[in-house]
Amino acid sequence: MPTISINRDLLFNALGKSYSEEEFDELCFKFGIELDEVTSDKLIILKEQGTERSVGASEEIIYKIDIPANRYDLLCLEGLVQGLQVFLGETEFPPFKLIPSQKVPQRLIVKSSTSSIRPYAVAAVLRNICFDQHTFNSFIDLQDKLHQNLCRKRSLVAIGTHDLDTVQGPFYYEALPPDSIKFQPLNQTKEFTASKLMDLYATDSHLRHYLPIIKDSPVYPVIKDSNGVVLSMPPIINGEHSKITLNTKNVFIECTATDLTKASIVLDTLVCMFSRYCQDQFTVEICEIETPQGGIKNYPILKTRQEKIDVNKINKMVGINEEADKVADLLTRMCLTATVAENGCLLVTIPPTRHDIIHACDVYEDVAIAFGYNNIEKTLPSTNTIASQFPLNKLTDQLREQLAQAGFTEALTFSLCSKEDISDKLRKPLSSIPAVHVSNPKTLEFQVARSTLLPGLLKTIAANRKLPLPLKFFEVSDVVLKDNQRDVGARNCRKLCIVYYNKSPGFELVHGLLDRLMQLLEIPLDPTGTTGYSLKSCDDATFFPGRCAHVVFEGVTVGVLGVLHPEVVTSFDLNLPCSALELNVEPFL
Amino acid sequence: MAIAHGEKLLKYLEENGKANSLKLSELWNEDHQKIVGTVKSLLCLGDVIEAELHSTVKWDLTEEGKQVAAHGSHEAQIYNAIPPSGSTQPEIMAQASIPNASFTKDMAKVGFSKAMSLGWIAVDKSSGAPKFIQKVSSIQDVVQEHLKDLATGKNTLTNELRTEVVKSYEMKPGSSFSTSVTKQETDLTPEMIASGSWKTKEFKAYNLNALGTPVPRGHLHPLMKVRAEFRQIFLEMGFTEMPTNNYVESSFWNFDALFQPQQHPARDAHDTFFLADPATASDIPTDYMERVKNVHSHGGYGSQGYGYDWKVEEAQKNLLRTHTTAVSARMLYALAQGGFKPAKYFSIDRVFRNETLDATHLAEFHQIEGVIADYGLTLGNLIGVLYEFFRKLGIEKLRFKPAYNPYTEPSMEIFSYHPGLKKWVEIGNSGIFRPEMLLPMGLPEDVSVLAWGLSLERPTMIKYGYDNIRDLVGPKVNMQMVADNPLCRLDKHRGTEIKEPEYLQELDIRMDSIMTRLRGIENEVNKLKKQGKGSQEKLTLVIEADPNYPPLSVQTLIRILMASRNVPVSVTIHQHSSLKKACSTDLMQWAKSTTSNLNRIDNLFNLTWIWKSIGPRPAAKVVNHCNGDICGEAAVARLLARLLESWTDCAFYENYDLNTTAEIDDWLDMWESCIQSGDPTFVVLANRINNRLNSSDGRKWLIGSFPGTKSLADVFLSTLLGHKLNSDRAKEWLSRCNSF
Repeated sequence: MPTISINRDLLFNALGKSYSEEEFDELCFKFGIELDEVTSDKLIILKEQGTERSVGASEEIIYKIDIPANRYDLLCLEGLVQGLQVFLGETEFPPFKLIPSQKVPQRLIVKSSTSSIRPYAVAAVLRNICFDQHTFNSFIDLQDKLHQNLCRKRSLVAIGTHDLDTVQGPFYYEALPPDSIKFQPLNQTKEFTASKLMDLYATDSHLRHYLPIIKDSPVYPVIKDSNGVVLSMPPIINGEHSKITLNTKNVFIECTATDLTKASIVLDTLVCMFSRYCQDQFTVEICEIETPQGGIKNYPILKTRQEKIDVNKINKMVGINEEADKVADLLTRMCLTATVAENGCLLVTIPPTRHDIIHACDVYEDVAIAFGYNNIEKTLPSTNTIASQFPLNKLTDQLREQLAQAGFTEALTFSLCSKEDISDKLRKPLSSIPAVHVSNPKTLEFQVARSTLLPGLLKTIAANRKLPLPLKFFEVSDVVLKDNQRDVGARNCRKLCIVYYNKSPGFELVHGLLDRLMQLLEIPLDPTGTTGYSLKSCDDATFFPGRCAHVVFEGVTVGVLGVLHPEVVTSFDLNLPCSALELNVEPFL
Repeated sequence: MAIAHGEKLLKYLEENGKANSLKLSELWNEDHQKIVGTVKSLLCLGDVIEAELHSTVKWDLTEEGKQVAAHGSHEAQIYNAIPPSGSTQPEIMAQASIPNASFTKDMAKVGFSKAMSLGWIAVDKSSGAPKFIQKVSSIQDVVQEHLKDLATGKNTLTNELRTEVVKSYEMKPGSSFSTSVTKQETDLTPEMIASGSWKTKEFKAYNLNALGTPVPRGHLHPLMKVRAEFRQIFLEMGFTEMPTNNYVESSFWNFDALFQPQQHPARDAHDTFFLADPATASDIPTDYMERVKNVHSHGGYGSQGYGYDWKVEEAQKNLLRTHTTAVSARMLYALAQGGFKPAKYFSIDRVFRNETLDATHLAEFHQIEGVIADYGLTLGNLIGVLYEFFRKLGIEKLRFKPAYNPYTEPSMEIFSYHPGLKKWVEIGNSGIFRPEMLLPMGLPEDVSVLAWGLSLERPTMIKYGYDNIRDLVGPKVNMQMVADNPLCRLDKHRGTEIKEPEYLQELDIRMDSIMTRLRGIENEVNKLKKQGKGSQEKLTLVIEADPNYPPLSVQTLIRILMASRNVPVSVTIHQHSSLKKACSTDLMQWAKSTTSNLNRIDNLFNLTWIWKSIGPRPAAKVVNHCNGDICGEAAVARLLARLLESWTDCAFYENYDLNTTAEIDDWLDMWESCIQSGDPTFVVLANRINNRLNSSDGRKWLIGSFPGTKSLADVFLSTLLGHKLNSDRAKEWLSRCNSF
């Protein structure tokens, strides 16, 4: 969920009203955003860098506000204020208008060379805009927020904004070998080739994160004007030449992308938020995009969509009973201007700022929000069903109860562990274990899904050596094993594991508990191994030779018990004899 | 032995009435500890004797002290070792050590100097080598005498002594005193039962104040106990448990089936554990997958879709499931295939996130999930079910916040009021599954699916007061904690949670209902106001005021009104015949019309101002309204403020919320009551204004929380009382008000 930082006084000034912190918090809650933190530059610096550095920093109150991930239209002061004011019924949602260029339209020509790296580009012009310091900062901040969220850290879309009066269209978007791109990047004093730039920014705390998007490509994307001036090298950096300033009057906005839909949403969002500062408010000048196939498409799309929505359905879905005109009012307050149409339907206008509205259910939600979630009458569904437990969980719980009654204490260990835990430490080669391997573990503890419960219990003993002996622990839980019979190639297996740790191994105790479990499950001892259960001496590297047996149930091995091998004991930092039983629960269902 | 001594001691007590253990030890020449043992064993018999513990301090001689007592003080030993003819130092020392072998050089040194200073001995250098001679013929060794006294119990000195604390018992006969003791049995034995000897034996009383022996037994894990409670609640509510025993899931079921786009941040390797082996899934139902692909990339089912290039390779990537909703998706798909029947499902099982770990987050945790699928379910149903679900956990107060979730719409975050923390805390997430998720599965169009989820660990940590999740889950857990953990009764509040007294809850509920009604009224008022706004009424107002008491605030407000908006306003000023003295030009021209044509019909606002001898309370009358006159400066000011608000849509008086408006009224009322009290000195009011403005927060306006907000109160009071205020803050405030 993105968080935006907004100067409180500027916010209240724009809202035309002051709120106490509680009042504003309440408003946010109703609207579906969250006042996350109240702070100031000074407090932030104080917290991060200490008292000395904070001297002289601004003490103006900053509100940090959490915005839902799909509301790109609320990511800046302008959008937030507009949303809130419309929500409060204090202002109406403005109509956005596309206007043709007064002279030749600006054109961005996309070359086919971009197809291998970043194939799409869109553009728009904001004419006769008037920035002040605050609105200029907000313009830059919004680009940053969009880059971080909707643009997926610039991988999907990258925005470049330019002073149109410093460059000469038409513009060319192409992909060139890094060494043939040379320009003076933003905030640098000299020219660099693209390859040199990659080195320069390798240590830049901000930009280095974006380098991998194009770094290994043989060609880098670049936008130039008709005189060959580099506007930007997306998604890394703009050129110094065309940079926008407080005095910029005409802004050329380009978005390059790997996802055309998102590029168009980003462009719409930017121009909708800032066209209010144009001399001709809420108007945007059209740009032409020439595709490699030669077609011409106009941007921004700035599409206003109309949907016919059945009021009855809204009422039914939300669980309210409101008249059509009231529902239309509610929607209008959510920036979805609505009018009552025939047949109990509403004609809902979805503006280009609300790209999150993709289905009627999104409209239902906005009705519910405007109505107030907490004003909806609570009712119980009439759904009549008879409950049942998952049989394996039911058996598991019954067995757990019995193990605790037998004097063993339940441990709860992790499903993920290191490769070593299930192999070397148990004296088994990793290749012999059908374990599921994680491809992107952040630490060693998340390398594999456990194939046995034993390591977790032995670690639990190690952490509890100070408790009086004997230590008697159990766990009944799932392990994960590869299984190519399943669609995902793996399955869980419910295992029961008990460990007994004392000065003497206590094999007979663990054995006795197994007999007790079998008695509870009504399975007779059958040394022939065909109908009931039996123990069969076996060799298992984890156990001490001659002190280990398989548990055989109806002719199939379902578990193992024995005295742990001294090397297993010591590999888990233990020093006393230990007996263990591990049993597959599923055959006993 | 103890019993033998016991009987002896009891006899002694019978004869003497009381006894002291120390004295008895001396008397019987027995080790004191043995006597104490006897006393203790007698005390166990009940009330045979009474004994009181005493500590006495006993003086005892040190080794050096004992030497002195036996052989004399160091100086006396030196004196005695000197022959009448005198002798050299080494000779004397040799002589002195004959009767006392442990007489050391150090002791001799002390002896020599002490004997010299006492004048017992002297040095004779007449014969060359210095010789010591006896100076007096006899000495009295007081030191030795004292130490001898001490050794025999006379306490006259404190030096050269070591102290020893001796505990002794002072005894007297108890209430059931008897001189014969039978040995008490500690416990019943099989032999006693067989022989019947238990009938004559006495049994030692149990110490009921001590704890019993811990029972060796096993225990269930606290988190699993809480899980059992949640499971029970779902079962009570008729929910069927889902088979969630598949940690490995494909991206398809975990994300794509839930209409979570393939570029969604949750699908990033930073957030999700992907698998290297088995890396991909197969056997995704082909036509269903095709429908999912279409709804993602092109929409359908009434949806616009996400408009991107959906890739099957992305859907086939295996992962460790990030939520149990993946299983819900499989269940709903299965439900659709088998001919839909209404269903209620739940699960509580592990999910995995490749997140940064901290005190409250682990890479794996348990998710609790509830799902209801039926025809025509509503958001109101979801809210109703959540109230019932959480009521079973002892949580009564809920509220819901709009939220975003890719697969639910509407989505609601669930908050509950935590009485201990005294604030609302998020306890879960909920929503109605999107049609783009349900319809491709083949569920009927009018079926809705409600769902909610929460973590198992969080309520458990709150319930049992853990602040680090590693103390609860994982191999590092202290198993003693598991053993000590109480029963899990989620609807009972004890221990770390604080329960509010019931009357407080009742008050809260009443407060809530009052506030809800107030909000309702406020909404109605706002609506009415808005209706009023639409038609900007033409208004003709007649104000009468006394030139001796010019209503300055009213005049200021009229100036603001006229300046606030470029509307045609006409003002005419008259004098009434009741005036004894003609008004000055200033008074007659204080306001100028802003209209060029004086056609009153076109003007939005026509004001007739009449100077009249009516005393300090001006009066206003709205022409064409049957309401009576509005009397008093404050009332007229309120009228004008409302007018200003309706014209300019600013917040000045009643456009603020009810609280703020009430605050403004309060200030105006204070002024009115000053007037009415007949002593309009306004000292108290002026002081209050001064205090308000001088408050430490450095506020700018009288009303609202810091820094305040400009309002009618500022304009009204600054105009009327400005000249009485002289603090710097107040002056700043005045200039702010003037530039209003």
